[in-house]
Amino acid sequence: MPKETNPLNSLSDAMVEAVEKAAAATVMVNARRRFPASGVAYAANLILTADHVVERDEDIKVVLPDGSELAASLAGRDPGSDLAVLRLERNGAAIAEAASGEAQVGQLVLALGRPTLDGIQASLGIVSAIGGPVRTGRGGLLERYLRTDATPYPGFSGGPLIDTAGRVVGINTSGLARGAALTIPALLAWSVASTLATHGYVRRGFLGVRSQPVALPPAQQRLLGREQASGLLLVGVEENSPAEQGGLLIGDIIVAIGEKPVADPDELLAALVGDVVGKPATIQVVRAGQLTSVTLKIGERKD
Amino acid sequence: MNTLLLSQSLTDDLTRVNQQVQRSVVVVHNGRMGAGAGVIWRSDGYIVTNHHVIARGRPRVTLEDGREYPARPVAKEANIDLALLHIEASGLPAALIADSHGLHVGQVVLAIGHPWGQRGAVTGGIISSLGTAETRNGGSAVPIIRADVTLAPGNSGGPLVNAAGGVIGINTMVVGGDLGVAIPSHLVEEFVNRAIGDRLEATE
Repeated sequence: MPKETNPLNSLSDAMVEAVEKAAAATVMVNARRRFPASGVAYAANLILTADHVVERDEDIKVVLPDGSELAASLAGRDPGSDLAVLRLERNGAAIAEAASGEAQVGQLVLALGRPTLDGIQASLGIVSAIGGPVRTGRGGLLERYLRTDATPYPGFSGGPLIDTAGRVVGINTSGLARGAALTIPALLAWSVASTLATHGYVRRGFLGVRSQPVALPPAQQRLLGREQASGLLLVGVEENSPAEQGGLLIGDIIVAIGEKPVADPDELLAALVGDVVGKPATIQVVRAGQLTSVTLKIGERKD
Repeated sequence: MNTLLLSQSLTDDLTRVNQQVQRSVVVVHNGRMGAGAGVIWRSDGYIVTNHHVIARGRPRVTLEDGREYPARPVAKEANIDLALLHIEASGLPAALIADSHGLHVGQVVLAIGHPWGQRGAVTGGIISSLGTAETRNGGSAVPIIRADVTLAPGNSGGPLVNAAGGVIGINTMVVGGDLGVAIPSHLVEEFVNRAIGDRLEATE
């Protein structure tokens, strides 16, 4: 490390860059009577925002980072996770990059919002806690959430929580926990969004297992033929559940569902969102040190 | 980079910036309840504070080294909540003034002041937004810096500084909850130049 390096300046510069990068994908969402809220361009023409800030189905306006105002239509909403997807008539915002992997407690994060025409707004904090599943105040179940001590300014709902590289760690909302700010992890939010964009609403898959992540020793990773540091050890299998009917056993370690590796609870939950209900799925498990797979029909979660 | 070394040098930087700025931060008493902060703007005795800090009473100024002076109000502009004081002293440790034109949301900032009478307390955060605020008498919109640093009574008139210790603004509590609002230093500089220019003309 050269002596002249000033880490405080470097940190400051890095956060400015992170804000600029994510600000290019953060838009204003004008769909309620009170002041506007925020949203994230997560795919071409598509804006992810908080469901509770979309109070009307028509006359929805989105203001892009360049200041231009576009009409938007509601592509789908999921009050249970407080997410909604808006469709724009054209592109215009940069596409946000989702952070890969799970957020860590203590990690530096920035909350971003664009509730005014004065430009991007941001606040700094750390990831304070990771929790879930939790029943939301809106009759749903949030499989996973983050909390941060970054100040949630008015109008930040629907905006991104980002890391110091400008990648989206989650979507902020105050609509799930009686006004307290909470962040929906990006992986989960993206998955809900893709279902909403396709179907307009969310059906959630159900296996009927309780699990916890466990490290996979090198020998077992060689069995998999890929680098995967962990899997999900089954510690409970519900009676008459899809898991039981498919033959999953306590002690099995789930390592993949279909083509998707499953290394932690977030990935399991993400694998159960989307167009999966009622469809057969191949579950790859490590059982008694051997790699095997079972096929079962994924059920629908009734909340 | 070794992470322990990194966090240690971040801490060292923060302490160094703080120590560098503290010398230029004064206490402004108004002879009544409460006190505010001020920034030594020029080494020949000119000190910037908030207008509302000295709006009433006879101001006195205490330097970081404990020396105390009666202060003479030179200029006030209530609409941007700024006041310029002068004390009969020279060779004062003037603050490093940074240009507030090129600021960015996300920049690291520190606020120094005397919240609830706690001398020289420092709080940290980032620039949250760069916008405008309506002035009190319904006048024009002035540019302001919002930061997510915690401020309390006693922070008024104190500096908001960047990661290099340069003053980018003067904290004011007039608008906006317990989070920081600061008047950008380029506006302060214009105010000071205007005030000192007027005064020189007046004495001619």
